[in-house]
Amino acid sequence: MEMINGVTVAVVLFGIGLLGLIIRRDLVIKLLALGLVDSSVTLALVSLDARQDALTPIWQGAGLAYVDPLPHALVLAAIVINFALLALALVFVMLLVERYHTTDSHRIAHEIGRETEE
Amino acid sequence: MRTSKLAQTTAALVLVACACAIIAFGFSYRGPLDRPNPYLSRATTDTGATNLVAGIYLDYRLYDSLFELLVFSVAVLGVRFYLGTTRQSPNTKAIPESQAVRASADLLFSPILLIGVYLILFGHLSPGGGFSGGAVAGTGLLLCAVALGAETVARRFHSTQLELFEWGALFVVLLLVLIPLIFGLSPFTDLLPRGAPGELLSGGTLLIYNVLIGIKVFVGTWVVISTFIRHRGEI
Repeated sequence: MEMINGVTVAVVLFGIGLLGLIIRRDLVIKLLALGLVDSSVTLALVSLDARQDALTPIWQGAGLAYVDPLPHALVLAAIVINFALLALALVFVMLLVERYHTTDSHRIAHEIGRETEE
Repeated sequence: MRTSKLAQTTAALVLVACACAIIAFGFSYRGPLDRPNPYLSRATTDTGATNLVAGIYLDYRLYDSLFELLVFSVAVLGVRFYLGTTRQSPNTKAIPESQAVRASADLLFSPILLIGVYLILFGHLSPGGGFSGGAVAGTGLLLCAVALGAETVARRFHSTQLELFEWGALFVVLLLVLIPLIFGLSPFTDLLPRGAPGELLSGGTLLIYNVLIGIKVFVGTWVVISTFIRHRGEI
C-alpha cells in the first residue's frame, strides 16, 4: 500500500489541528483548529474503503465492485454535527468577546479568576 | 517563564504525536476486503433506493438521522436564543454592492435553488439528499443576502412563517417515525410500498424524509446566517 493515502494525510491533519487546539491561545483560531480536526475525521472515514477499481455506492446492477457505503453515511452525521458545533461555539465566543473584549483564552481566564475573587 | 513555555509546547507535541500514533495504529488494521457486505447485496432491494448511502441513513439507520436532525435543530435554536440576549449590531445598513455582484446574484439565484430542489428530490437515486440539497439552497439565499442586503431578503420571508415551516417539518418527521406504532409495528418501520429501483417514487418514505430534511436544513441555514448578520453587522 502506498504511504501517502487518505488515512495518513488525515492523521497528519488531525495532529496539526490538535496541536493548534492545545497551544494557540486565540479562541477563534482554536475553533478553526477544531474544524480541521473534524475535516480530518471526515477524510479518514471516506478514504477507509477507497479503491481505484471500485464504483461509488450508486447501484448499477449486481456483480460490480462498490465502495462500502457505511462510512459515507456516518460522515454525513459528522458533517452536520460539525456545522452545529461550530455555529454554537462561535456564538459563545461572541458572548465572551462582548463581555471581556478579547479572544485570548488566557486573558479571559485571568479576568474570570479576578471576578470570582472580588 | 520562557522555559515553562518551551516545556508546555514540547509536552503538547509529545501528546499530539502519541494521539496520532494511536490513531494510525488503529487504522492500520483492515479486515479482509472481499468479505460479503450485507449493505451492498441487499440495500437496493430492501430500501428501493439506488443511492446506497441514502438507503442506509434514511432506512436502516433512520434512528441516527433523526437525532442528527435534532442536534441541528438544537444548534439553530441555540444560535437564535443566545444571540437574542446580546444587543443588535448598529451597523445593519446594506453595504452598496457593485453591479457585477447584483447581476450574478440575479443570474445564479434560480439555478442554485433549482439544483438544491433537484438534489433533494433525487437524493435516493443519485448523489445528494436532504442535507446537501438544503445546504445548497441555503447558499443561494446567502448569495442573495450578499447582493441585496440581508434586511431586504429577511423582509421578503416572514420569520413567523419560516419558523412554522422549520418546526412543522421536524414535527412531521417525528410523527412519520411513530405512525407504525398504530399498526402494532415497531417505530421507524417503513410502511409505503417499494417501486422499481431507479424511479422517483421507488424509495417509499425516503423521498418524504428527504424533502422534510431539506426544508429543515434550508430554513435552518438561513436562520443561522440572518441571525449572525443581524447581530454582527452586514456582510
